Amino acid sequence: MKLTVDGTTHDLDVEPDMPLLWLLRDELRIHGPKYGCGIDACGACTVHLDGLAVRSCQITAQEVEGAEVTTIEGLGTPDAPHPVQQAWIDEQVAQCGYCQSGQVMQAASLLALNPAPTDAEIDAAMSGNLCRCASYPRIRAAIRRAIQSEGA
Amino acid sequence: MRALLILCALAAPAAAQSFDPIAEVLLHPRCANCHVGADGIPLWSTEAGGTQPHGYHMQGGESRMGIETLPCSTCHTNRNGVLEGSAPGAEGWALPPVEMQWAARTPAQICEQLKDPDRNGGRTLAEVADHVGHDPLVLWGWTPGPGLEPAPGTPEETVAAILAWADAGAPCP
Repeated sequence: MKLTVDGTTHDLDVEPDMPLLWLLRDELRIHGPKYGCGIDACGACTVHLDGLAVRSCQITAQEVEGAEVTTIEGLGTPDAPHPVQQAWIDEQVAQCGYCQSGQVMQAASLLALNPAPTDAEIDAAMSGNLCRCASYPRIRAAIRRAIQSEGA
Repeated sequence: MRALLILCALAAPAAAQSFDPIAEVLLHPRCANCHVGADGIPLWSTEAGGTQPHGYHMQGGESRMGIETLPCSTCHTNRNGVLEGSAPGAEGWALPPVEMQWAARTPAQICEQLKDPDRNGGRTLAEVADHVGHDPLVLWGWTPGPGLEPAPGTPEETVAAILAWADAGAPCP
C-alpha cells in the first residue's frame, strides 16, 4: 500500500488491519504519536489524516491507502516550528509531555477549522485530549498565543 | 381460563398494531442516546441503567456533527471500533436533526412526532419504515459493536411493526 506521511510517500507491506499508530511507530519508526489507551479515549495518538485530526490507534492501514498523514514530526521543523508548536514552547506547556504531541496536533486541527475560537470553543475542541499532569490552563494559553501570532 | 383465552385473542391483533414495540426500539439507548435535543449533547448509558452526558464535554453543535468544536469523525469512523470501550461508528455518524429529539420524551410524544413530516424528515410512514430498514446509521443500532447492547429485535421486525401500526391508522398511546 502507498501512504504519504509527513510529506514522504512510502510503499508498505503491512497487514490491512494494522492500526495506523502501529504502522507509524513500528514500521516507519515515527515515535511522536503516542500510545495511550488504544480505544479513542485519550487523544495521545492524534495525527492529521488528510488535514483533519483523527485518533491513529483506531484507523487501520487499509483505511488510509493513498492518504496523506501528518504527525507531530512533520507539522513543523526545529528551525520553522508550526505556530502552535512555537506557542507550546513559549508557554512551556509540557510537564511529563506524553500527551503533548496529540494535544498539539488537535490544537493545530482546531485552528485550521476555526482560526479564532473562543475559550469555550477551545475547551470543547480540546476536551477529548486528556492530560494527567493537568496542563490544561497552559494548553489554552498556548492556543490563544498561537491565534495572536497568526494575527487572527 | 376461557375468559383469559378470549382476552388474549382480542389483545393479539391490537398488539400487532400498537406503537409500543416501536417505542421500545426508539427509546432504547442505542437510538435515544443520539436523538437528543437542542443542546446537542449526546448521551452515554451508565451501568446503573440511566444516562449521562457523553464524556469529554462533546457537543454536536448546530451542525450536529461537532464541526463547530470537535468533529465526531475525530474518533467515530464509518465502522465500529474492535475493542470494548472504543468508539462505535457507522457511515454518516452524526446526531439526528434537533426536531427528531426522542430522549426524555414519552412514547405518546414520539408517536406524534413520527407522524409529523415536519419532525420526521418529511417522510410518509412507509418512508419512515424504509428509512429504518436501510439507513446505515439507523441500522447501526442493531449492530453497535463490542460492549454495547443492541436495540431490541431486528430491523425487519421494527419495519414490520411500523407498517402494521401505519396500516391500523397509526394510533398513538
